[in-house]
Amino acid sequence: MGGGTLEKLDSIRRGELSAAENVRRSLELIQRLDGKIRAFIELNPNALAEAEALDRRMERGERVGRLAGLAIGIKSNINVLGLRATCASRTLESYVSTYDAEVIRRIRREDGIIIGMTNMDEFACGSSGETSAFGPTDNPAAPGYIPGGSSSGSAAAVAAGFCDIALGSDTGGSIRNPASHCGVVGLKPTYGLVPRQGLIDLGMSLDQIGPLAGDVAGAALMLEVIAGKHAGECVMLDVDRVSCLDTLGDGVKGMRIGVSRKFAELTDPAIVGVIDRAVEKLRDLGAEIVEVDLPNLEHGLPAYYLIVSVEFFSATRKFDGRKYGRKIEDVCGEEVLRRIIRGRYISQKEYRGKYYQRALQVRTLIRRELLAALEKVDVLVGPTVPKLPHRLGERISVAEMYAYDYLTVPANLAGICAGVVRAGEVNGIPVGIQVQGKVLGEREVLRTMRALEAAP
Amino acid sequence: MGRIEEIERSAEEIVRAFVEAASRLPELEETYYSHSLYNVVRPDGEPEPPEGRAEFRRRFISNMPSSDERGNLRVEVARWAEER
Amino acid sequence: MMVKIGFEVHLQLATGRKMYCNCPTNYQDVPPNTNVCPICTGMPGAKPLPPNERALDSAIEIALMLGCRVHTDETIYIQRKHYDYPDLPSGYQRTSLPVASGGELEGVRIRELHLEEDPGQYDPVSGTVDYNRSGVPLVEIVTEPDMSSPEHARRFLRSLIRVLEYTGKVRPEAGGAMRADVNISMEGGGRVEIKNINSVKGAYRALKYEIMRQGRMVGRGESVARETRAYLESQMVTVPMRAKEIEEDYRYIPDPDIFPIVIDSSRVERIRSAMPEPPRAREERMVREYGIPADVAGVIASERELADLYEAVVRDVDPMLAATWFRTKLKKVLNYMGLSAAEVGFSPGQLAGLLRMVQSGRITPEQGEMVLRELVSAPGDPEEIVQRLGLLPVSGEELRAAVERVIGENSKAVEDYLAGKEEALHFLTGKVLAAVRGRADPREVTEILRKRIAQPSRTSSQP
Repeated sequence: MGGGTLEKLDSIRRGELSAAENVRRSLELIQRLDGKIRAFIELNPNALAEAEALDRRMERGERVGRLAGLAIGIKSNINVLGLRATCASRTLESYVSTYDAEVIRRIRREDGIIIGMTNMDEFACGSSGETSAFGPTDNPAAPGYIPGGSSSGSAAAVAAGFCDIALGSDTGGSIRNPASHCGVVGLKPTYGLVPRQGLIDLGMSLDQIGPLAGDVAGAALMLEVIAGKHAGECVMLDVDRVSCLDTLGDGVKGMRIGVSRKFAELTDPAIVGVIDRAVEKLRDLGAEIVEVDLPNLEHGLPAYYLIVSVEFFSATRKFDGRKYGRKIEDVCGEEVLRRIIRGRYISQKEYRGKYYQRALQVRTLIRRELLAALEKVDVLVGPTVPKLPHRLGERISVAEMYAYDYLTVPANLAGICAGVVRAGEVNGIPVGIQVQGKVLGEREVLRTMRALEAAP
Repeated sequence: MGRIEEIERSAEEIVRAFVEAASRLPELEETYYSHSLYNVVRPDGEPEPPEGRAEFRRRFISNMPSSDERGNLRVEVARWAEER
Repeated sequence: MMVKIGFEVHLQLATGRKMYCNCPTNYQDVPPNTNVCPICTGMPGAKPLPPNERALDSAIEIALMLGCRVHTDETIYIQRKHYDYPDLPSGYQRTSLPVASGGELEGVRIRELHLEEDPGQYDPVSGTVDYNRSGVPLVEIVTEPDMSSPEHARRFLRSLIRVLEYTGKVRPEAGGAMRADVNISMEGGGRVEIKNINSVKGAYRALKYEIMRQGRMVGRGESVARETRAYLESQMVTVPMRAKEIEEDYRYIPDPDIFPIVIDSSRVERIRSAMPEPPRAREERMVREYGIPADVAGVIASERELADLYEAVVRDVDPMLAATWFRTKLKKVLNYMGLSAAEVGFSPGQLAGLLRMVQSGRITPEQGEMVLRELVSAPGDPEEIVQRLGLLPVSGEELRAAVERVIGENSKAVEDYLAGKEEALHFLTGKVLAAVRGRADPREVTEILRKRIAQPSRTSSQP
């Protein structure tokens, strides 16, 4: 790829690179390579025309937006008017979006060019990128291995250079997990910071839309574009906008960075090794490394799966095939059906206290622990996934698949922000380090990620 | 049918794992919302102007599996109404 | 046989926008699927807007009118109530926990009151759905099963509608704005719920049918099982609803996309001080203040605008006179013209002016009614109307001249009267009244004629 996102933006603005040329390159690459990678489900037929129109505006000297000319990939669970938000499922295979999600409106306002809809695990129910009804996605950074999920196509598209920035969604790690496996940058913003209007639900109280990019600056830029309150939505924080680009290069000197033994306990030693070396780098850069306690961290996983199943069951009642698409239970894949069945079962009147409400109590416990740990430090760092990605097509059990999420679900349960940046590799497979921050602590998280990215 | 049973069985595993894990954890209040900015309401007033809706209506109808000439969605007829 | 009847009444609130989106609420005025957006049609990814504040305030006002305790400082979750039905675009209905509880009306306890959203309109016979109505705010009022007869139930519903119209916060009943689920259990039998009732009449008929049906079953030795039935308007019967259409477990969860509502007492006080006086209280006060009979006060208080008009008028007019007029002539004219008190074009001052003229005797009650009809159809100053209609009482001269003329032109009738036929005098009275265009009191005219005819020097026959 070469050159950072901001540098490319600059060269587009200076006229050295036209928006049309940027988009053309993306489309060419996609044409050449995506047959094998399958990062995209559908391309925007107007992308080139939109880029050309933007170029004409720039030639006329008009003011353009902050994403001007950048090629953007959108996960297929986000509504983009005129394109199909399939959620990689036969259920919505024919659903042409009838409106733009709020984040899409903001991207268009800033003149980002939407290249197409990226592949994903069906209805975001997965951590591998293998459950799409339109075929699994390959990992461009480690061909033959899973790219992770559920924002598999978005991560792969960025890793392969098909687009400059992509949007994904993260409910239990669905941005961070594929970012780690594919060696790109991913960020799950604080819950309620980015509007979800137009995001097709997996778990309403857990979902957040976030950026994936080739560099931390690209992710920070996209966050600034999509974050901020929206009157058309209820459950949002009272924040008008964020700025994190200005402090991006501030470094970690004097920051208190938390680590926990618990992370290592749950993680493959090879990965731990990579993370430990990254932590050393942070220490060398002047951060104070602080040990924190997270005694109940692993209990977040089963609680998460109960909560998300109930919410997903509720969210999917509208897919009855009457107004659009098909009835979900008739055509969906196994994991989707598994969550619907589980959700239907545990939300029954007589079981509510035992399962759903109890899981929400465990959520309180995890949340308290995490927030208490974050009181002592500025950010927490650790591995993103407890084990290396498996090979595409390798059959693993349901429990083994869920186990990828151990280290990522706590941030969703607590509603805090968390980002991933490449820390190293094991046998050629990328390993990302996860940086978790306080509520609205994106500046500290991105700053830490940038410091690691820039370190030799 | 075997497939469904298999899925049901595998769906239950993590529920059992949860009950097992939770048995050793304290009882606390439930967290339904990440942030408690309760009591957000929206004032009533003039509705959205019709221009935006006309476009949406067109797209809504074009996604319908079946519609009638007036723009109603066509769905199933109710059985209890049929029988009379 | 002991009968217990209860209601779950759903009423549409009068707001400009829907409950969770900004679509208009006038669902009957537009073609199908016009007042819709991604939110109220359940498009994938659509999230609700914050709840409509006016709907919340209206629900609080209605609760206060029914004497309920509003749940202040409590976390009122908006819940998802899941069931499968074609008119429910998202597969669940958003319904709040109770906003208030513990009221009473017509001897029936109000269990609770909460906010809901209307589903779309599903025509089960043609199999079509129109989502124009989907998302319109509803208030649901749940009663205890305190009614013991269809007549009691009807009285309750009518009284409820009256109270609601007083607030002005609900859409008028005509056009399906009220829907009721009725539950009835008879001695020893199971609780039967009847759905699909859209009017007071429908509720009454459904109950009568159900009592008869259950009575027959018991007579045959059958026991009445707990079930849900549907009321068929056209045939006035209830039929069993297929079990598939009835979802027992709604799997309620607090809606993660909507923050709960917390009502603070200052909002309640603000609403309480601004709301109109409830009808029963107003009726009682009018009896006390104006000394009018209770039944008359009841008629006047049956419509808030009528009572408003009355109380404006009695500042200048005798309350009893005004009350009688309102009870009889005004109601008669309004009914005849198909108008409600809210729709009249004349001002209270104009009506008061008319009544003052009647009170002082300047015009007769009969003339007053003519003026009233005119006032209703072409509002204006009553003095002018009286002039225009030529209704000012005839002068003594003009009257005497008319009497002379009539006696002169109707000698046969005069002779008949003198011969003892009383009716002839009435005939002559009519003629005189016609001659002066009604501007005299008939009784007075008769007396003048009687005296005049008795005076021989004035008879027409001249030697």
